[in-house]
Amino acid sequence: MKRSREEAATELFAALYPRLAGWCRRLVDDDETAHEVASEAFTRLWARWTSVAEPRGFLYVTAANLVRDHWRKLERERRAVHRATVEAAVRPENEQADPSVRLLVQSLPERLRVPILLHYYADMPIREVSALTGRKEGTVKADLHAARELLRAHLRRSLDHTL
Amino acid sequence: MITHSDDGPDFEPDDPLAVILRPTSEYLGPPPGRFEAIRRGAARRKLLRAAAGAGLLCAVTALVALPVRLAAPDRPASPTVPLAPPPASSPPATSTPPPTPKPAESYATGTSPSAGPSTPTGRPADVPGSSPSSKPTRTEAPATLPSPTPTPTSKSHQPSVAGDAPEATPSSG
Repeated sequence: MKRSREEAATELFAALYPRLAGWCRRLVDDDETAHEVASEAFTRLWARWTSVAEPRGFLYVTAANLVRDHWRKLERERRAVHRATVEAAVRPENEQADPSVRLLVQSLPERLRVPILLHYYADMPIREVSALTGRKEGTVKADLHAARELLRAHLRRSLDHTL
Repeated sequence: MITHSDDGPDFEPDDPLAVILRPTSEYLGPPPGRFEAIRRGAARRKLLRAAAGAGLLCAVTALVALPVRLAAPDRPASPTVPLAPPPASSPPATSTPPPTPKPAESYATGTSPSAGPSTPTGRPADVPGSSPSSKPTRTEAPATLPSPTPTPTSKSHQPSVAGDAPEATPSSG
């Protein structure tokens, strides 16, 4: 029993870690932070291994929350430094490599973010997302649609700003 | 990844959303030893959680049990139960009280009730008086010896010592 659980954990790690860490890498500044986020997600998963029904979804949602916490922490630090020094001097040296993905996680409310993450990044069909979130399939589809519309609006706004 | 057949067309390929919702293109392999480190961390965290749960359980149990225990009705004060009253037929108060009543009682029952108290009072008078020629009395003395020996006060009344001393001294003869 324990052996099969160990094997399942090993297989899951081999299959999902590179992908999850790669996804995190798109959201954070450096490889080390991406590894930290992915590792923490796996640690949380294995600390409650027996009670998690859908490890893939758990990993992505946990990683998204950790990334969001990381951003908040960076923002707090940036504000603290900004209060002490001139703003020009504290501009972040490198912006997010992929701000569009950041937009995805940052702009969406959790209710809409979770289905998007599970469906598009954890590669789960709507049926599984529905089972995992406890919502009806129609509701999940509606949530996905609402999330896409919201993202479109955000994208349009950001494009207008840049032009 | 975005071509799930069961949810219909999400967006056109030229939709800007396709940029956001594109599948993860890059993979980041785990550094060496990362798997073991994560496993260790997870096991430690599991243990900590179990310990915290056990501690919480103990605290809750104590919180529940303590008021119940304190709210229980006070029992009658009965710590003096083992103390028995002194027996009515105890030896008279005039005799030197032995340290424990039990030996005195057994002593009194073993011999005659009057013999107990009388021996200490009678002997001292006899012993000094019959010191030089007390051969017969000397043989008597050991018979009464065991009785006073348990009592601490019997040392002064021991006839054997008194009897031996006169016999050993040549001046008596």
